[in-house]
Amino acid sequence: MKQLRFHYYMEIRFDIPVHDHHFTLRCLPKEDDSQINEELNYEVRPYCDLCRGTDAFGNEMLYGSCREPHKLFLADVYGIVQTGCGERISETASEYIYRYQTLQTAPGVQIRGFYKELEQDFLRETDAPEQKDVTGMAVFFMHRLNKRFQYRSGITLIDTTAEEAFEKGMGVCQDYAHIFLSLLRLARIPCRYVSGMMTGEGFSHAWVEIRTPEGWIGLDPTNDRIVGDDYIRIAKGRDYKDCLINRGIFKGCVGTAFQEQMIRVEVKEIGEKTDGND
Amino acid sequence: MDNRELFKNSDSVNELLARYGVKFGIYKDHVFHEQLFPFDMIPRIIPADEFAYLEKGLKQRVMALNLFIKDIYHEKKIIRDGVVPEEFVFSGSGYLACCDQIMPQKEIYSHISGIDLVQAKDGTWYVLEDNLRIPSGASYPMIARDLCRKCEPQIFRDIHPEDNRNYAKYLRETMDYVNTGGHTVILTPGRYNAAYFEHSYLAEQTGAHLANGHELIVENDHLYFIDYSGKKERVGAVYRRISDDFLDPMTFRENSLIGIPHIFDIYRKGNVAILNAPGNGVADDKGIYYFVPQMIRYYLGEEAILNNAPTYLPYYKNDMKYVLEHFDDLVLKDVAEAGGYGVVFGYKLSKQEKEDFLRMLKEEPRRFIAQEVIDFLDINIMEKGELVPRKADLRAFVLMGKEPVVWKSGLTRFSRNPDSFIVNSSQGGGFKDTWVLSQ
Repeated sequence: MKQLRFHYYMEIRFDIPVHDHHFTLRCLPKEDDSQINEELNYEVRPYCDLCRGTDAFGNEMLYGSCREPHKLFLADVYGIVQTGCGERISETASEYIYRYQTLQTAPGVQIRGFYKELEQDFLRETDAPEQKDVTGMAVFFMHRLNKRFQYRSGITLIDTTAEEAFEKGMGVCQDYAHIFLSLLRLARIPCRYVSGMMTGEGFSHAWVEIRTPEGWIGLDPTNDRIVGDDYIRIAKGRDYKDCLINRGIFKGCVGTAFQEQMIRVEVKEIGEKTDGND
Repeated sequence: MDNRELFKNSDSVNELLARYGVKFGIYKDHVFHEQLFPFDMIPRIIPADEFAYLEKGLKQRVMALNLFIKDIYHEKKIIRDGVVPEEFVFSGSGYLACCDQIMPQKEIYSHISGIDLVQAKDGTWYVLEDNLRIPSGASYPMIARDLCRKCEPQIFRDIHPEDNRNYAKYLRETMDYVNTGGHTVILTPGRYNAAYFEHSYLAEQTGAHLANGHELIVENDHLYFIDYSGKKERVGAVYRRISDDFLDPMTFRENSLIGIPHIFDIYRKGNVAILNAPGNGVADDKGIYYFVPQMIRYYLGEEAILNNAPTYLPYYKNDMKYVLEHFDDLVLKDVAEAGGYGVVFGYKLSKQEKEDFLRMLKEEPRRFIAQEVIDFLDINIMEKGELVPRKADLRAFVLMGKEPVVWKSGLTRFSRNPDSFIVNSSQGGGFKDTWVLSQ
């Protein structure tokens, strides 16, 4: 069990004023069996009527509309989250929807080939029957994917599919997660995309959860490890698109307004020594 | 009845229909064409006792479909009990994950259902298709009846069909029943939509506001209509005539310009009623059609009153075997298509086409259903002063309020091409009024 102080800051700057800006933010940590918000503060600018809701995947949403012209849009969220509070069994959300591939996870020839290879190796290399359960198989896939795929930013885009990323052989956490989901769904293991934060990183992060008889278990293919209490979950869904931190549409003057997005994430364990730069 | 009586004024009625803008728009190669929806004066006549049978069957069917949709978005019992295979539901295009656990007002998912029926030569009625998303067509027999009464009042003194002008009243009751407080709006994508005439006509007849997405805004978790003076009026029910995909760019297609941002979020909270409920297309998928008789048994404990056309699912091995052996006798339908598109008659394919089709079928069996070709009862239409037989179907409308109501009329569509079984308006067919005899 850990107490994590987090700060999530996002701003978008437009080069010309935009108006009728509708937004939905999924940036509030969601409370569940093992994660509790001890303190939660949020602010959105420009000021507008802000509403809160929950989507079908159980994610907390902040939404509203800024109708007046503005050039800066920002969301500032900070607080304290207690993680690792217990098993996550009680969640009732349907697991059916997490068994099916989406547009972004649908496997092509490359991923199917990789899956065949993994499946055979798994059966051959794993003798112990206790490792042949769902978790054992998923962890085996994760190790192999982590070896096969390389971390590099700037190669893939937010709408890159699992198959496209796998063909390139490198990408970011979103791509690791999509390929992993694609493989797990080929193996008929219910699994979902999770976006969130972890200690020590300056960015938002993404990983995967699989459904086991013991509940949902988090696996982080980018770091090749089982998700622990140094992670804060924000949103979950079938793929990246269900977990968009900021979904927005707006009207500008001519054509599409140019925008620049900046995100800053900080997660620190309370009691942990700071590096003195604060 | 002497049919000739009716034809005397056929031209003037069609002229009036044109003047009232009774048109049907279609997009072909991305160009919008508006065409008149040809009206044939000879009504289809259904005897009272025959319609009573249809009425009973339609109510039963729509009740079961509603229970199915509620189950799919909540407990999913019918899947856990193995009655409907899960992949037919969750990988179908009609299923929307974002609707999971949403309970619409009064638990109604399909407020206005258009059930397509055909009658075979032996008199048996078959359900061909359930249309639950945004079925159109009720306005055509409404206005046609109205004009016919004006042109030929004499006929209505001799024959007594059930009055069909009560559709607007039923529709209004259906909308009011689920209204969460405020105005009632019919949401149209605008005049370049195939059924724009219907949107405006139904708004006029029910007294609802006709609005497009720009006239409606979500503020503080409620929906408002902005009138011509800029005043905001609360809206409690939206009969939307745009598809789920375009309803709300914040949840569905981001590039939708005809939707209302955030309407889905407040619908989830129960602050506005949407007719028909988003996601209800999960029950009118052509693949799900196969399971409707099982649904009726499962939810209502009754046998289906209305027949399904004999249907095979290539997804099941035995059915696939049958389909391959009897390919030339069957009609195959792509479950993802609508409006008469994606329909293939086995015997019409060339050798090459057949080979290509079979390959597709074997690769994606889930994508198709196969049906026996029903020998439709021909109905006479008037063409160039002569009576000629044509294939026709009947779209019956069921409105779900406190109780299901079957409208005692319906849209009879016919194929103008003597060799065609496809009667869809988007394929150039015409329509007739449907007279249900009152005794």
